[in-house]
Amino acid sequence: MTRGKTDLLAGTLDLIVLRLLRAGPANGWDITQRIQVISKEVLSVNYGSLYPALHRLEARGWIVSEWGESENNRRAKFYRLTAAGRKQLAAERKAWERFSGALEAILRTT
Amino acid sequence: MWHRIRVRLSALFRKREVEQDLDEELRYHLEKETERNVAGGMSREQARRAALRGFGGVEQIKEECREARGTRFIEELGQDVRYGLRTSLRQPGFTLIAVVTLSLGIGANTTIFSVINSLLLKPIPFPDADRLVLVWETQVNDPQSRNIVSAPNFLDWQRQNDVFTSMAVFDSAGKGYNLSGDGEPQRVSGVRVSASFFDVLGVEPRLGRSFLPEEETFGKHRVVVLGDGLWRSRYNADPALVGKTIKVDGEDFTVIGVTPPEFEFQFWSGPRQLWVPIFYTKGDQDRGSHSFIAVARLKPNVTTEQARARMNTIGLGLAQEYPKDNVGRSATVELIGEFGLETQRSTLFTLLSVAGFVLLIACVNVANLLTASGAMRQREFAIRSALGASRARAIRQLLTESSLLAVAGGLGGILVAIWTSSLLLKVLPDNLRAVPFRSLNEITIDFKVLAFTWVITCLTGVLFGLAPALLFSRRNANESLQEGSRGTTGGGAKLRQALVVIEVALALIVLTGAGLMVQSMMRLLNVAPGLDPKNVLTMNISLPQENLYYGPPAHPQFARNLQEQVGSIPGVVSASAVSHLPIGGGQAGRGFVIEGRPDPGSDNQPGGGYSVVCPNYFRTMGIKLVSGREFTEQDTANAPGVIIINEAMSRQYWPGEDPIGKRIKIGYFDSNAPWLTVVGVAQDVKQGGLDRQSRREFFRPYTQAAWPVMTIVVRTTTSTAAFINPVKQALARIEPGSAVSGIRTMEEVLRSSLGARRFPMLLLLAFSFVALTLAAVGISGVVSFSVSQRTREIGIRMALGAHKRDVLRLVLNRSLGAALTGVGLGLAGSFALTRFLTSLLFEVKPMDPIVVGTAALLLTGVALIASYLPARRATKVDPMVALRYE
Repeated sequence: MTRGKTDLLAGTLDLIVLRLLRAGPANGWDITQRIQVISKEVLSVNYGSLYPALHRLEARGWIVSEWGESENNRRAKFYRLTAAGRKQLAAERKAWERFSGALEAILRTT
Repeated sequence: MWHRIRVRLSALFRKREVEQDLDEELRYHLEKETERNVAGGMSREQARRAALRGFGGVEQIKEECREARGTRFIEELGQDVRYGLRTSLRQPGFTLIAVVTLSLGIGANTTIFSVINSLLLKPIPFPDADRLVLVWETQVNDPQSRNIVSAPNFLDWQRQNDVFTSMAVFDSAGKGYNLSGDGEPQRVSGVRVSASFFDVLGVEPRLGRSFLPEEETFGKHRVVVLGDGLWRSRYNADPALVGKTIKVDGEDFTVIGVTPPEFEFQFWSGPRQLWVPIFYTKGDQDRGSHSFIAVARLKPNVTTEQARARMNTIGLGLAQEYPKDNVGRSATVELIGEFGLETQRSTLFTLLSVAGFVLLIACVNVANLLTASGAMRQREFAIRSALGASRARAIRQLLTESSLLAVAGGLGGILVAIWTSSLLLKVLPDNLRAVPFRSLNEITIDFKVLAFTWVITCLTGVLFGLAPALLFSRRNANESLQEGSRGTTGGGAKLRQALVVIEVALALIVLTGAGLMVQSMMRLLNVAPGLDPKNVLTMNISLPQENLYYGPPAHPQFARNLQEQVGSIPGVVSASAVSHLPIGGGQAGRGFVIEGRPDPGSDNQPGGGYSVVCPNYFRTMGIKLVSGREFTEQDTANAPGVIIINEAMSRQYWPGEDPIGKRIKIGYFDSNAPWLTVVGVAQDVKQGGLDRQSRREFFRPYTQAAWPVMTIVVRTTTSTAAFINPVKQALARIEPGSAVSGIRTMEEVLRSSLGARRFPMLLLLAFSFVALTLAAVGISGVVSFSVSQRTREIGIRMALGAHKRDVLRLVLNRSLGAALTGVGLGLAGSFALTRFLTSLLFEVKPMDPIVVGTAALLLTGVALIASYLPARRATKVDPMVALRYE
């Protein structure tokens, strides 16, 4: 584990990916970059788990993929959120908020 | 949901594309990462290595992506299937035996059950058939008895009952009718029915109408309803036929209706195609003349029990009112769907249970084959395990292979079922082809049954396919590898021995059943029919005749013409005719009084079977006259009435006396029928069939007492085939407009009378052959397996000086032990089960020692041969080769 960086909690990668894709289609590389930028380099994403996660989300029908052009005219696979994915995101977000709120409450009292 | 399926399907079927996509996606990521690293100041080579490092294992990621898509399981299944197919093809003998075994087991069961389903479980083809009942006369002291009803009793039932909405009767005998006038004369099977007949059954004619009540009276009775099939075949489905007249038995009848195509009607003989209204003849109006079958529709809310109770009361009332005819009689009711299935049931369910046994044997055999082959492959699985295959994967491999066998066996089973059911339909004897109101035109394969038998065999396959995998996984792979083929017979050996025992036991039961039926058939073939069937030609002809039961014929010249025209054909030894052809030609009975003896009362009246014959009948049929003479042309209507009786009747009524010259009269003591003199005594004939006792019979000459349907019998010097046309031509000359039908030789009549027994016998024989073969295959498989397992041991024994004989004994001992245990169990099983065959047996006890002994010996012999062949291979083993054998 690199100092200053935090591994993702189990199950949160899906939430992050769905949330990032809500802003618009993105490819795998973009997603890894955005995670690092937005989390101010705190969260590190293991690519080894990102791609299986993308394929898993696609298999569940929450995202779809299509081939498109990246910024310098290279073919890249872009993932886009589906309606089902949106619903899933809302549900997972609610669950996460409940969880983190509870966790925070516990941490404060002790 | 749809989306998910699409992802998976595309992963499966566009596998290359999906893989390329994955490659490209990951490559893009790597390149971007490399570029970023280069931008951060690394050399290109360093940057690429760092990117790869960050990635972890590319192949591992790919594998995880594939798994994320959820297709790995199916891909591996594909591997298993391919591997399984290769394995199967590597051992073609094993595969063939397993598939054939399964096919036979599944196919045979499906066919037999489909027959039962198509026949016995088929609903009665009338609307609300569960409200339709048959109403019978019955004996008070035997409430299970079912007797047909006389017309006066039926009419009283109809008047007095309050439990039926409507009642109808039809003539139990039916009749052949001559259709003539328009084209070839044709004989059609028809029946007299009461006017209410179609209404009670709930059948609406497809054209025209059904009968009106007034059409039951003489003079208005010349109307006819035709069956759909007859209307199509003879009248080209002419819709304008209704209202026209056709010639029925030479008289003009008006066609008033045509039945709907789905309407099938048949009772104790084949399907009927023609219906005429009953007018009750003088004979019918006799309360003692029982000839009708009554059918009725229950009122709503009346149960069968209530109807039965009511009819019993009415029947008892009629017995009080008419004691002479009805003493000891009552009436009873039974649902139409429950009638007449008994004999078919016992035969078909015997066959079904035998088919079930064969299925069991098939399952045992497959289990046997799979455990043996699994044991031989222990080494293979040990290697696979050493190379990192999981236990689950090994189990899946075996499961896949046994499922492959099951699928192949199931497909084979369908083929066997299709083939055997069409074959079966051709050879099915008439008595099994038809039950009252229902007939079997086609056997539809019952896919529920197919599925059921398939599932059972699959389960067996799976269960026993798994046994070696479980056995194997309990052991240490290393141990397995070391022992490998040189191991002792291992844990599976006991299981396999047990399977052989079961197989032999089941085969013995089937074999005993078949043996008992063969023995019955042999006894039957040895029964003397009382006549000489060789070179006798028979055919039916109906004669214009109104007066059905008594009195001289409308045209007595028929008998003389027959003698002159048919008797004179060159090569014809003699010709005659009879109302009831012996062996399956139906029977009629008459009660009579003997001259000079006191009135026995209507309850104890003497009686006997009744036939009408033309002159030369006994000579033509080869029935010996014990004393007296044949009928001649001199026995005319004006001459004194004469009869010939059989020995049984002579013994019964004139024991120790000469019956010649004695007189009887038909009917009750006060009847005014003419006295008839006994002029001859004939040898007993098996009138009712070879499996029946001869009963009392007497014969009247046609010239004195006509009968409407006669069977012509012609004895020829050589084979009868050449005489069919000349006889038909001669008959066309003397009875123009009368169609002949049912042309058969007397030998055929005898043979087909045994059809009802021959059919289950042949099936049982076929089944026992299959069972025997399967058992032999099973035993031989087990022995060759154990020989191959013990090759090394045998080699050592021989190297140490054992003789071939010792080796043989060593190998045979064990399998014979299993076979003999199986025989013992099988004997016990036969003892328990063969008594259910009793109704199908003739003069053979269910545990006939000869049959059972032969079956046991045969099976032991087969077991011996089946184990000897592979055992002999063991003795041919070269000790040196065996020792090196791995």
